[in-house]
Amino acid sequence: MKPFNSLAATMSAAGLFSLWGCGTPARPIETGGTESITSIDDVDMQDINKAASGMLESLLVQGTLSGGKNKPAQLVIGTIVNDTSSRFDVGEMTYRMREQLVNSGQAAVVTTYGNNPEDATAQDAAKREAFLKGQTSVPGVDPDFSLTGKITQVKREAGNVRQATYTFRLTLTNLRTGLEAWTKVVDVTKQGTKNAIGF
Amino acid sequence: MNYAAAMVVRVGVLAVILLLPACGTVNITSTRDAPAATAHPKQTQVNDLLMQVFVHCRELRMFRSDTGYEQLQIDVANDDFRQRNLAWRIDWLDAKGNVIESPMSVWKSCSIAAGGMATLSSVAPSRDGVDFRLQVRRSD
Repeated sequence: MKPFNSLAATMSAAGLFSLWGCGTPARPIETGGTESITSIDDVDMQDINKAASGMLESLLVQGTLSGGKNKPAQLVIGTIVNDTSSRFDVGEMTYRMREQLVNSGQAAVVTTYGNNPEDATAQDAAKREAFLKGQTSVPGVDPDFSLTGKITQVKREAGNVRQATYTFRLTLTNLRTGLEAWTKVVDVTKQGTKNAIGF
Repeated sequence: MNYAAAMVVRVGVLAVILLLPACGTVNITSTRDAPAATAHPKQTQVNDLLMQVFVHCRELRMFRSDTGYEQLQIDVANDDFRQRNLAWRIDWLDAKGNVIESPMSVWKSCSIAAGGMATLSSVAPSRDGVDFRLQVRRSD
């Protein structure tokens, strides 16, 4: 019986060690791909991708940007408030939109406009250049539209099932008329008891 | 008599079992029964792909928007007795067959109620987009 006990103990130990080694080693996955983690209480990369894609599709179909005085339309990215409990940079969405709009020649983003410009150094340099030339405003900068928005959430529970709806809303305002020229809402709803890998 | 009663009970139980899955399914009605004017012949190819995830393509429509961008709508029906979830992605191709890279081509999810329908829609990222490539993955 003793040799048997010894063998069993050895096998148990080996089993435990091999279990210790089990796990998921880190590996690259497609950003926003179907293997991504799906969280209930957080905005995920795939949610941001979906929102940016939905916004862009609507903008292209409506053709609002082609109605600006400038060709391509000059666009100021205003404040987009993240009013959710999930911590992420709204730039994740806006930069994806900018990439498409700017690179396809739909819009030119003005980064040197207003009291809170994206690029204060460039604004200072442009103002200085205009001052030295005796101009009252920076030539070439004449925005047609400003983009503002808000991301909100509605959370509910039933038993141990949690549900969260994240609403992405963007508005394009015509800066010459002060009127809303385009608006779009994209919802993302997730439900479950715990976070999961993949969707 | 006992045999007859047992048979009645069995038939009753069987009927209940057969009817249970139908609970909660969606019924669809539409005022349109003819295919859309923009219906596309590639519907069959899409249907072959969707059948692998237990849903099927009712109609595929392609049309150009007023702003010159190709738009795509795929009506997907779930004939199963339970909710079906799928992930899908559409990449647009130009006339030469090259993929048009864009942040608009991303994986999206779709949930279709039992007996219900959903429309997968997409807009070409540029006016060069004339064809598409659809990828579908079962999520449930």
